[in-house]
Amino acid sequence: MGLILERPARAPGPAVSRPSSGSGRGSRARWVWSWAYSGILSVLLTLAVLLGYLVTGIASGTVDWTALLTSSTWSPGNLAFGGLAMIYGSAVVCVLALALAVPVGWAAAVALSEYLPPRLAKPLRLSIELLAAVPSIVYGLIGIMVIRPFVADLGDVPGGDSLLAAGIVLAVMITPTIVAVSVDALASVPGRYREAAYSLGLTRREVIRSAVLPQARPGMRAGVLLGLARALGEAIAVFMVIGRADGRLPESAGDVFSSLVRPGQTLTTKLAGPEPMLAGTSGPYFAALCGLGIILLVLVAVATVWGTRGSTGRAARAPRARRSSAWLRTPKDRLTTVVRLGALLLPGALLVGMLGILLARGGAALNPVFWFSASEGASGGGIRDQILGTLLLLATAALIALPLGYGAGIVIGTRASARTARVLETLTVAVGGTPTILLGLAGYVLFCTTMGWGRSWLAGAVVLVPVVVPVVALTTAGRIRSMPGEITEAALALGLTSSQYVRSVVIPYTWPATLTGLLLGLARAAGETAPLIFTATVFFGAPALPTGIVNAPVQALPTHIFTLSQDSGAPEAIAQAWGSALVLVLITAGLLSLAVLLRNRFEGARRWTT
Amino acid sequence: MDDVTTGVTTLDDTIDTVDSVDTVDSVDSVDSVDKTVIAVRDLQILSGTKRLVGPVTFELSAGSTTGLCGPSGAGKSTVLRALVDLLPHGLRRQGEVEVLGRPVRYGKGDSGLRSTVVLVPQTPVVFGGSILDNALFGLRHLVRASRTEMHDRVEQALREAGLWSEVSHRLDTPAQTLSNGQRQRLCLARALALEPAALLLDEPTSALDERSRDTVEESVAALRGNRTVLLVSHDPAQVERLCDRTIRVDLPTATEPSLAAV
Repeated sequence: MGLILERPARAPGPAVSRPSSGSGRGSRARWVWSWAYSGILSVLLTLAVLLGYLVTGIASGTVDWTALLTSSTWSPGNLAFGGLAMIYGSAVVCVLALALAVPVGWAAAVALSEYLPPRLAKPLRLSIELLAAVPSIVYGLIGIMVIRPFVADLGDVPGGDSLLAAGIVLAVMITPTIVAVSVDALASVPGRYREAAYSLGLTRREVIRSAVLPQARPGMRAGVLLGLARALGEAIAVFMVIGRADGRLPESAGDVFSSLVRPGQTLTTKLAGPEPMLAGTSGPYFAALCGLGIILLVLVAVATVWGTRGSTGRAARAPRARRSSAWLRTPKDRLTTVVRLGALLLPGALLVGMLGILLARGGAALNPVFWFSASEGASGGGIRDQILGTLLLLATAALIALPLGYGAGIVIGTRASARTARVLETLTVAVGGTPTILLGLAGYVLFCTTMGWGRSWLAGAVVLVPVVVPVVALTTAGRIRSMPGEITEAALALGLTSSQYVRSVVIPYTWPATLTGLLLGLARAAGETAPLIFTATVFFGAPALPTGIVNAPVQALPTHIFTLSQDSGAPEAIAQAWGSALVLVLITAGLLSLAVLLRNRFEGARRWTT
Repeated sequence: MDDVTTGVTTLDDTIDTVDSVDTVDSVDSVDSVDKTVIAVRDLQILSGTKRLVGPVTFELSAGSTTGLCGPSGAGKSTVLRALVDLLPHGLRRQGEVEVLGRPVRYGKGDSGLRSTVVLVPQTPVVFGGSILDNALFGLRHLVRASRTEMHDRVEQALREAGLWSEVSHRLDTPAQTLSNGQRQRLCLARALALEPAALLLDEPTSALDERSRDTVEESVAALRGNRTVLLVSHDPAQVERLCDRTIRVDLPTATEPSLAAV
């Protein structure tokens, strides 16, 4: 309440003073709402552009959908476009990733939330959230350096490029996401449910199974689906370890397992390869690629939207009535405790291993010269220009995304009816879950080709905006929804118009959450590689800071690492790549720590308002 | 009656609580009125070195209804939680507790204790699932019995809690459809189904409106003489109506912070 009272000057009750003329007030109201609605518009526009790009692409040449879905022959020279092998590859790596990540992730989440004392759980939860934000390019690098050799030893695979390696990389990548979302779901189960179950004499295992998990299950399932969406849409990390071999399908059912240790291709790696550049912007080749894009988009959208629906699904299912569990209760309880705490070791090891490997291999980054000197070819110098380029892209994206995301969040949180809000929220989530490789390709066609910008830093920044906007919008909307009803009531009871209400109540109340969302979104955008390869970056030869818009590329950290890691034979290049990875992780971690600081600050504010 | 669980028997060497025979005995043989079910000596609850509650000393004899009252913030509910080893993080207990003549050793992850002395929390908690699922909630894990036996026990418990006539025709409907007062009686039935040696009721009516309060009070009154009950209430009139005798818990001395300040 103090929040409103502190700012009476900016929220004059109309009955007391109406200094400005009616028209002035009206124009200001129009200004607020046109800003807010342009945010929503930007979300819709992103979807429209994306779909427009894919649909016009498909329309520019005939797509043989039957072949695309059932044939495995991909041969542009013969105009044979069969996508089955890629769909199979995508499915296999995702199934592998889920099979490895879900049991570990869920068990670790339960251990974190139900077994560890808060003093231990809180920092661990924070570090897992950090892990979930590590750029995928870094996971790809780890895939090349650690997982590929491991698979090569395991299955006699030359080089180790295989579906299995890709599956493991994705599993490592999505485990933190699954843990983080599941812990949130478990933490939101009120303590009284646990108490009620404990007070009936149940063991911890029984309490968790009968009282906690039925409540948390929708949220935990949502975590898996979000992880799946991330795995499906991930291009770069998979690209680096899968070998990108076309047309590989197992010949028989028995061949499925041995095909795991052979190279393959997924939908995203096909789109991230050189082919979109070779295919031009019309014709059957381009149309077939757009068809692949549509398939990918549909798959990811289904997973994302399903995932978010699960998290809001309210009716908890009845715990299955199971008798006869009376036997061996205590040993079972102890065993589950050991297993769950054991599962926590894996994310813990991942954390320690990640830090260790980055510090051990990325030693170059510990030298300040590395930060402040320009690079010399692939193997020497520092990465000053790459850091500057990344910061330029992020700053520009932030400038564009902050007002748009804030506006969209305000509309979703205050303006829309419950039903519209749900639709808008789902669309926003869908934009946030869009495979970034598709954003990159659409941006490439729209800005670099159609508008004639060539490679341009501005195109790259604009392509990053849809990565940031949904995070800003959803955190803002969530914060608005958590506003105590009395605040709104008190403000409207004073006669504030809706735009005055937004300016004097909503914005002062939500800005810390919005900034947190912005920082989280930027942390994600900082590691994005796929949208930048085609649109904004070159490996070298660009000035530190661009001077125009047309044909003004920059160098950026993620694409730098990507290019260097392709050259995995040269040890100097690899050292450079690890150094850059450490710098990138530090930038991401910096953004996240700022976000956490802000979050703590507004959690303090929450205590104070209620 | 089935023995409670093998879990309890395996726990016997580590935790001296009760075995199932005692549990059943204490319930069936109401005539042994002078038998002590719970004995508490010098129970104190501490946060760090600060004393929040106590020391309190009391005994509950079988079949009696005892009121535990005192001003809010005095730690009445905390005493109940201390008895069943559900103290919130950071609080610890001192003193001795005996259940059915055996000292309780806390902090060993014991579940035999909590199915012998059952706490019914203040706000009624209804889990997902049907009314029957909820009534079976603890029983299902603790007792090995045939389906009909389980249903008999549940029916018995629902009758004792005064809920049977209202729900007998719709045991399969979601428990979320019950009113608040019915929910509280369902929680009571859920506890009674375990045939506990003692029931700890934590302000069972404070979250309810007047009418539901009366129905819950009726149910609690009906337990008098049959069950050993420790009832926490801030309402002296309620304690007067329902209890055989009263224990008072007072705020700690002024120099020490009370629970409310924590």
